[in-house]
Amino acid sequence: MASVENVTLRLEGRITAHTARSIWRSALDTLESHPDRPILIDTSRLEYVDTVGVAMLFDLSRQWRPAGAGVVFQALPPNFASLLHRYDPAEFAIAVPARRHVGVFEHVGRSTVAQLRLLQELLGFLNLCKRALMRAATHRGTVAWTDVLDVATEVGAHAVPIVLLMGFLMGVIIAFEVGLVARQFGAIIFVVDGVGKAMLRELGALMTAIVLAGRTGAAFAAQIATQRVNEELNAISTFGLDPIEFLVLPRLLATVFVVPLLAVLADVVGLFGGALVMASTFNVSYLQFYSQLLKAVTAQDFVLGIVKAAVFGLTIAAIGCHRGFRTGAGPASVGLSATGAVVASIVMVVVIDGLFAVITT
Amino acid sequence: MDHPPNTRPAVGGAEKASQPAVSVRNLRMGYGTRVLLEDASFDVHPGEIVVILGGSGSGKSSLMKSLIGLHPPLAGDVLIRGVSLVRAVAEEKVALQRQLGVMYQSGALFGSLTVLENIRFPLDQFTDLSLEQKNLAARMLLQTLEMKQAETLMPGELSGGMLKRVAIARAMALGCDILLLDEPSAGLDPVTAANLDLTLLTLRKNLGVTLIVVTHELESIFAIGDRAIMLDPISRAIIADDKPTSLRDRSTDARVHQFFNRQPDKQRATEVP
Repeated sequence: MASVENVTLRLEGRITAHTARSIWRSALDTLESHPDRPILIDTSRLEYVDTVGVAMLFDLSRQWRPAGAGVVFQALPPNFASLLHRYDPAEFAIAVPARRHVGVFEHVGRSTVAQLRLLQELLGFLNLCKRALMRAATHRGTVAWTDVLDVATEVGAHAVPIVLLMGFLMGVIIAFEVGLVARQFGAIIFVVDGVGKAMLRELGALMTAIVLAGRTGAAFAAQIATQRVNEELNAISTFGLDPIEFLVLPRLLATVFVVPLLAVLADVVGLFGGALVMASTFNVSYLQFYSQLLKAVTAQDFVLGIVKAAVFGLTIAAIGCHRGFRTGAGPASVGLSATGAVVASIVMVVVIDGLFAVITT
Repeated sequence: MDHPPNTRPAVGGAEKASQPAVSVRNLRMGYGTRVLLEDASFDVHPGEIVVILGGSGSGKSSLMKSLIGLHPPLAGDVLIRGVSLVRAVAEEKVALQRQLGVMYQSGALFGSLTVLENIRFPLDQFTDLSLEQKNLAARMLLQTLEMKQAETLMPGELSGGMLKRVAIARAMALGCDILLLDEPSAGLDPVTAANLDLTLLTLRKNLGVTLIVVTHELESIFAIGDRAIMLDPISRAIIADDKPTSLRDRSTDARVHQFFNRQPDKQRATEVP
């Protein structure tokens, strides 16, 4: 009820996070609708306030009012009064800065710059790896071959089932798809050429690399990223050990040796898959397939595939390790490093494959 | 109309004096066949600050998890204001848990949100306050915990001590009057730890908050604890439940005396030069 001189605002009951909204708004509306009259806030029937209730009382007390029209609390319990006096309105005058939303063009620009910076860092990292490899070649005992064997087992032996499956399916799919077209032109036998060339020169190495980018690249990144977050890399350095020699070299060597072997496996089962389709669908016997295959492919095709696989393996291992080393702070960064390693590995593998295609033609 | 000046209504977290805020009844706690605590019973009364302490592996943090309903006990019960948390299901359990403000040992902040957004999170999820109202409440909490300058930082940019203080602010955001804090002052420098102790005491005095604090920081225990409950990993029982000063000065249990007087094991005492 408004008196002649002041307006009384009565707060009563429980003001909590769950009940404050409407009370808060209503109280501010009362202040706004009587800009030139003093406001008396009667808290004599206030039963309970929580931290949000305290915020409400503070907000009411800090509202700017002309002289003679200020806000006064009546019957405010001493414990609440002491709480309110801890807060200086001046410290809450500046609004909370909103999160800046980045536009599409700015995002593209920033991402491009970030990727170029990453590429530059990767080249620097590869230089460090090269030095470590040269040191390993000239100094006995640099490489922990037991570690290389452990990594090779994990990267190679444990990846055999999925590589076999992928290779087989690749051979089947190519033979089937190309065969359907070739049959129309009476050139079914030349499907063998296509399957042979494609598997040995390209798909054996490429599909193996893509599988391992997701499996091994992510694992390397996550392992080293976790070690970085746990400060294990710092511990390795303070022991006087080179983290590149200690962690990266075994992974590089293992991957370079193992990926070509896996590619060969993929080639073999891929060719078998192709032969299976040719025999079952297009009436080309296994003997005919074999005979045509020997005419179609050369040793250079096989060697090219192996060399590509080795380069892909090196790329995947280097990128995975690099992403692990540059992990930021916090647990989320491990996942980001692993994801980044997979994407970057696949992109680089495809780019390198393109370069090989240009160079070898 | 003015209220008579001599009348002061009850404020803060007023509870019926007879009903404990948290009750533990015959609690048996552990993981599988590994039992950490046998037949534990205690009450925490409204407005009380109870410190749970013990040696490494005594089950302090596991007990905390049982009190907040994260880890079901092997036997026994936990009651929040007389309502069983162990036997509660679905929505009832959620409603009970929402009465508790919890600060986890490592903070458990959400890495993709800023400090202010982390504190505002419970308000965003469970209230209909406007953004300005929520921001003000969250900023005031940060001010209380001396962290206002960090409101736009991400959790990954905070030190361990800063993480804990933000986590305490988040635990307080919904105005819960039962707070459970797991090692709140571990890793804090002495001044910050002393300020935090003062903040907790102010919360209890001004808002009537009930606090259950897991810690083995002796200074904090003596500064804030109304009662100390000590767990022992070998006997798997509560071996002390009394005022910290009483335990330090008058306990006849050698383990309790050793802990509260910060003494090394007897067989190692001779190693000291």
